[in-house]
Amino acid sequence: MNLLRFSAAFLFLRIAAQAHVGSPDVYLQGKAGPYQLFVTVRPPLTIPGVAELEVRSETPGIRELRAVPLAMTGAGAKFAPIPDALNVSPKDPRFFTGSLWMMTSGSWQVRLTADGAQGQGILSVPVPSFARSSKTMQFGLGAILSVLGIFLIGGLVAMVGAASREAKLDPGTQPSPTNLRSGRNATIVATVVVLAIVFGGNYWWNSEARDYSTRIYKPLKMSASLQGNELLLEMKEPGWMQAKTIKQAEFRVFTRKMDDLVPDHGHIMHLYAIRQPGLDIIYHLHPEQRETGSFALQLPSMAAGHYRLYADIVHANGFPETLVTELDVPAITSRALAGDDAYASTNPWQQSSGNTFVFTLPDGYKMEWVRDSQPLAANRAMSFTFRLTKPDGSAPPDMGLYMGMLGHAAFVKTDGSVFAHIHPNGTASMAALMLASGDTSQPAQPMKMDMPGMDHNMPMTYALPNSVNFPYGFPSPGRYRIFVQMRHSDTVETGVFDAVVSK
Amino acid sequence: MASISAQPGDLASLSRTTADVSAKTAAIPWYIWCASLAVTSAMVGGYWDISWHESIGRDTFWTPAHMAIYLCGVLAGIAFGYLILHTTFSKNSPLAEASVHVFGFRAPMGAFIASWGGIAMLTSAPFDNWWHDAYGLDVKIVSPPHILLIIGVYAVVVGTLVLLAGHMNRSRSSHAAEKKLILYISGVMLIQFMIVLMESTERVYLHLLTAYLVTAALPPIVLALASRLTGYRFAATLVAAIYTAFRIGLILVLPLFPAEPKLGPVYQQVTHFIPPEFPLLFIVPAFALDLLWQRTKNWNPWKLSLVSGAVWVLVFMAVEWPFASFLLSPASRNWFFGTGYLYFAMPPTSFLARNVFYPNSLSRLQFGLGILGAIMLATLAIRFGETRGEWLGKIKR
Repeated sequence: MNLLRFSAAFLFLRIAAQAHVGSPDVYLQGKAGPYQLFVTVRPPLTIPGVAELEVRSETPGIRELRAVPLAMTGAGAKFAPIPDALNVSPKDPRFFTGSLWMMTSGSWQVRLTADGAQGQGILSVPVPSFARSSKTMQFGLGAILSVLGIFLIGGLVAMVGAASREAKLDPGTQPSPTNLRSGRNATIVATVVVLAIVFGGNYWWNSEARDYSTRIYKPLKMSASLQGNELLLEMKEPGWMQAKTIKQAEFRVFTRKMDDLVPDHGHIMHLYAIRQPGLDIIYHLHPEQRETGSFALQLPSMAAGHYRLYADIVHANGFPETLVTELDVPAITSRALAGDDAYASTNPWQQSSGNTFVFTLPDGYKMEWVRDSQPLAANRAMSFTFRLTKPDGSAPPDMGLYMGMLGHAAFVKTDGSVFAHIHPNGTASMAALMLASGDTSQPAQPMKMDMPGMDHNMPMTYALPNSVNFPYGFPSPGRYRIFVQMRHSDTVETGVFDAVVSK
Repeated sequence: MASISAQPGDLASLSRTTADVSAKTAAIPWYIWCASLAVTSAMVGGYWDISWHESIGRDTFWTPAHMAIYLCGVLAGIAFGYLILHTTFSKNSPLAEASVHVFGFRAPMGAFIASWGGIAMLTSAPFDNWWHDAYGLDVKIVSPPHILLIIGVYAVVVGTLVLLAGHMNRSRSSHAAEKKLILYISGVMLIQFMIVLMESTERVYLHLLTAYLVTAALPPIVLALASRLTGYRFAATLVAAIYTAFRIGLILVLPLFPAEPKLGPVYQQVTHFIPPEFPLLFIVPAFALDLLWQRTKNWNPWKLSLVSGAVWVLVFMAVEWPFASFLLSPASRNWFFGTGYLYFAMPPTSFLARNVFYPNSLSRLQFGLGILGAIMLATLAIRFGETRGEWLGKIKR
């Protein structure tokens, strides 16, 4: 049918930016009742499509684990389809796998129900669903379909010729010159008509492909400018999930808006400014919304340079986005860091030897990446543990929560293709987690004492542990920088670690 | 196919009639039965598949509905592939004399058309699979790979009709059995056409021009063809009756079987298979056409087509327009009209779930001109159907 496309014979993936940049997989650790689960959801490339699900239980005794996808908010959150039982690994009774259909773009949750020796428990995992790319046809399939297509076209034309030439003849008679001429004429007409149909089909295919491409996720466009020491951020809708016709509005479950942002652990925007190309200076700041789609922030004192800005926002239905832009900043002398602001400075990644495990902070404290010596591999779900110690190596007695959590981490690939802002419970935003768990009473207020990532076995003296862990997996091989924020007393510390990730 | 008119208790009469039936059916060769089975399988499979998507949602290549559809392609491919090879290479094939030549092969015309359809259907399978990979699993009927599949099915249907017509035109016996089978195959074709038109003729669209344009373009072809080819006085009515009975049958039967959605989002609670919509009232304009055609045998063909086109569009509108309002009313939400059955992912905000007609954006003048256009389409469709019916009445191979 579409000969032009059949000849485009290689697999071609377009990677779009997304909630987190270049890091679509969802990692989450949480409790389904009595069972502590580590969940990985790998969303599909196309929507509708199949998401892959992996769950490891740290608690023994789960007999059956079922999963069901449903919309986070709205009418689709009311009825659930039939849950699927996940498959238990024959080697490890605590490891479960399965697959789930994600049917529409928008804010989804995967609801896991665990049944076992200790009773039943439910864990809802927020999963933003969006089409990331399209595929062109592989050579082999293209070749087979091309041959079949040409055969069908040729066959159709030949049949019309035969029908006109011979079909009405009495059995046993030979076609006369008139019959032969009539057959030839019919063949010519049929060729023209069939070719017109093929070109019409090609046009149709292209318009379907164009229509699909408008459904491929595009984050809100963000532009940044400086007015004195004030940073101004303007958002623009690039035309994703906008219903243009009645029919689209009728069936579109989610239409992206700019006026529906909700605070995520206390801030409506989390802005990471990372100096390029060395990734040697990082600021974690919190611009305020002035009006719909417009944010501003009085910058703290900043070193001059070319910065890439990653802005994390969350829509009311829990759909998270990371907006990206770049900005040249002159040396700014301004206010000091305050409140939840965080900052770190180190040597450019190009000067780093590879993996680093210990980062000495400006006040002499040390942050350590606690891990085994196994090489890091892409797409492997891992738990990243970081520990903060005083200059003498002891645990600080005054550990505090940073925006309601034991820590925050940003995983940044040095080529700029990956940015992921991770919490101790995983890749999901707090706002989405609260929606998923059905807690809409306090949307995205800072979490109190009982939160994932904390050691729940500790005595209830309100002393916080000096280590934090993050569930995550590197999405692709390459060199990464990890920025980890923890707090003791009023000091927010940012540790910087380098990681080399193999295939 | 032949009627059995035995008196109760009259065994001799019964056995005679049975022998009569087998004599008549034996006259229709195996490959035509095979083709009839193939198109029936695709028809049932097609509607089953649509219901599957509306009730369960998730499928694989191996669902029974898909198997029924592809059985059509496989049957057509094997039966007609064999027929073509046998006619081409066997020295004493009975069909050798009554065959046409395509790519150096010899076989009756219909065998080539039907096997082409089988190949088109089988080609659509990997194409459709790739389409889902590239653009996501489609939740709509009208997509390029689906249309290739449907064209393949149509080709098997057309091939069956051509085989049947050729066989009928060559034989000297009474053509009663063949004509009845032609009527049935025409009904299958109309039912298949309505799969493609399903998305534009849902009840909420029945006050829009589109519904009257598409129903003018395709269904009259089948009715005119069947009427011309069989010469029956009520051929069009009977073909429309087959469509009506099949679709009502689905409303009665499908909800008897349990099914639950296996995909989200689920907006409507579904516990059983969801049937398609109540059939369009084609049977009324079809009856009007039969009455017209009985009285106008000597008319100029174009004049007849024009009047027939107008009768088709206007009578259909006159009955379907008010009936659509009934279908949106609570009175129709029952086991017979079946308007209470909704696709599980039909949003509560949708026109169907709210039982509200789609807003018409055309002015009265535009709508009127559109209906004139529909009459033109129906005229062409009827003329096309008649000429194809006449052609089928003459083919011998």
